Amino acid sequence: MMLRRWLLSLLLLLSLPVLAHKASDSYLVLDIKGATVSGQWDIALRDIDFALGLDLDGNGEITWGELRARQADIDAWALGRLTLLRGGGCSLQVADHLVDSHTDGAYAVLQLAGTCPGGGGELTLTYRLLFELDALHRGLLRLNLDGTTQTAVLSPERAEQRFSAGEVSRLAQFGQYLVEGIWHIWIGFDHILFLLSLLLPAVLVHEAGRWRGVANFRQALVEVLWVVTAFTVAHSITLSLAALGLISLPSRLVESAIAASVVLAAANNLKPLVEHRRWMVAFGFGLIHGFGFASVLAELGLPQETLVMSLLGFNLGVETGQLAIVAVFLPVAYALRATGFYRRGVFVGGSLITLVIALIWLVERAFDLKLISA
Amino acid sequence: MTFGKLTYLMRIPVLPLFLALFGLVLSAHAAPRKPAADAEVLERLPLRAGDAGARELAALRSAMTAAPNDAAPATRLAQRYFDLAMARGDPRYVGYAEAVVARFGEPLPASLRFTRGLLRQYRHDFEGALADFAAAVAIDPDLAAAHAWRGAIYLVQADYAAARNECDALRRLGRGMLVGACIGLAQAYGGQLEAGYRSLQQALVASSDPDNRLWLLTRLGEVAAWRGESALAERHYREALSLGRDDGYLLAAWSDFLLDAGRPAEVVKQLAGWEASDSLLLRLAEAEAALKSPAAARLAQALDERFAAARLRGDTTHRAEEARYQLRLRGDAAQALGLAAENYRVQREPRDARILLEAAIAARDGAAAQFVRDWLRSSGFEDARLRRLGQESALGRSAYLEFRSAGR
Repeated sequence: MMLRRWLLSLLLLLSLPVLAHKASDSYLVLDIKGATVSGQWDIALRDIDFALGLDLDGNGEITWGELRARQADIDAWALGRLTLLRGGGCSLQVADHLVDSHTDGAYAVLQLAGTCPGGGGELTLTYRLLFELDALHRGLLRLNLDGTTQTAVLSPERAEQRFSAGEVSRLAQFGQYLVEGIWHIWIGFDHILFLLSLLLPAVLVHEAGRWRGVANFRQALVEVLWVVTAFTVAHSITLSLAALGLISLPSRLVESAIAASVVLAAANNLKPLVEHRRWMVAFGFGLIHGFGFASVLAELGLPQETLVMSLLGFNLGVETGQLAIVAVFLPVAYALRATGFYRRGVFVGGSLITLVIALIWLVERAFDLKLISA
Repeated sequence: MTFGKLTYLMRIPVLPLFLALFGLVLSAHAAPRKPAADAEVLERLPLRAGDAGARELAALRSAMTAAPNDAAPATRLAQRYFDLAMARGDPRYVGYAEAVVARFGEPLPASLRFTRGLLRQYRHDFEGALADFAAAVAIDPDLAAAHAWRGAIYLVQADYAAARNECDALRRLGRGMLVGACIGLAQAYGGQLEAGYRSLQQALVASSDPDNRLWLLTRLGEVAAWRGESALAERHYREALSLGRDDGYLLAAWSDFLLDAGRPAEVVKQLAGWEASDSLLLRLAEAEAALKSPAAARLAQALDERFAAARLRGDTTHRAEEARYQLRLRGDAAQALGLAAENYRVQREPRDARILLEAAIAARDGAAAQFVRDWLRSSGFEDARLRRLGQESALGRSAYLEFRSAGR
């Protein structure tokens, strides 16, 4: 037996960790805004089985029914090994039970909800899941505390850890939201298409039923400035009102109206109804787009203590993204304005394509269907 | 029950589990969902409650619970967990064993101190493990296994004089076969391949236990390959394989031999069904890549996910294999060199030396392999391939210096 052990040891030491599986980890994601806690905790079914015994019929398989039957025990076991302190002990409940897969098998997913006595300051987290049974178990934590994301590995040696949100400066927070704003305009195709639909005719003049290029750059620039400024002012108003919680509209209505605004803007290029005061169109629909930006901001979460700075940062980010689009678009469009390629291909063709895409969006969003976009 | 029977019994459900696991790797990162039916099977456990292995574990656990302050049943349970971790390559069992040991306060009795040493070396905490084994021997001077483990660790650290001291201790204790294995490896690593081969051969002649024979034959295969005797090496590997016992180390060594010989198709055939083992998955992915097979990308992706999961929890025990993955499958020489150099600070066996040399040559950074060239010089290790790689890595550097001075 001794030789066997020694031989086994050599097998191992020869830098061959025969890791068919990985060691035990749980994945804990916590989102704490002020006193409100939400989160998700993924715990391997194998680990729950080792601690509590899930395989009721002893056939070596864990079914959804077997897991469901033990949900109350699992909740009590897990929540009894996780403590959050913020101005006192936070209460935690399991809001829903799901399952998921990670690289080493199936996991129970506990969706967490709770409240803390204190709405600010330091958070103390104590994690003791499985440590008494598996000393190599680790809790992999991703914590979003008042808008600041931090990660940590929770181990028996570092079971209790403290986190504070105040470590991120206001400037850094401002910068973070600025980047989010730029990013959102870049990935928000509906906003870009709306803006482009209004900008496409800026280098053209409609006269006697025909389009021709504007006489000089100044004329185009003035038109663009009016449109962009009107759009900006309008969506800033509604974005702020919605982000501050003063107005709230159902997202399906907002998203459908945004799609409709793109349809109308593109259609107006093909059969002009509004020719001169496009800035008014930009302003009117800009109000709707502002609500769309606000829903993104709501997903990001606005930290209460830096509310105004973050809102300003996000808004400026959106403007920066917009200006970048204009800065690329305008010189190119101006240079090409007299060509047939621009007037027929880009202006008419582009407006047609935009119209079709926006119509599909409109149908999708209004009737809650999935046609082209996720 | 013998160890062999136990592992055989436990291996029966392993293959389907491995396949299920691999399926899960591919379907990983799905979104959380609510299953539709109660009957849906979410997970297959490694042990069924009625299995002999599971019953034995249950009995050991209840023995420990019945006498919570007694070190003997706790040691038996912890060592059974450790054996399971070895046999099945499942690190969860190491964590279970550590938790059993952690129930006892300091000072630990010799048996638990020894067990903690096993667990520490598993995590590559070699200094902690050496201290635990030394303390166990101080309490119980007849604990041959503790000397054997210390010898093994010193071999990994390339401290051959210290390893030989442990071999001498084993000889004083009259543990003939352990001495043969210990001396044989110390000789082979320390520049005496022929003497090492003879020592291992003598130990093989004296051994009838199939597990021991498998191990000795595997090492004889490696030593023969280092000596450039491919046909002899293949004969040893084939004899080891003919014992009919699954063994991850043997399969890895045999696969490396075949890959070096340019025979990847045989690796693919040999390793079918072994994808759950990280080290064997690496060899399989290399073989498929050499064959330019469509499966290569999928296997590399699976490896990538496993390394990422290990990194997430701060696990650094895979660096040698990750270096090989980065160099041979991703072609990222710089990344491979960093990993191989980090690994070489902890583990200094011939395979660790080889990946560091290969990465250094690929990254055109001969200086990074200076430690290996120092080791080749001081140990006199005789493998022609390693010596060639050592020269090539140094050549790269001096050629570079020549080029620079000529340019000036």
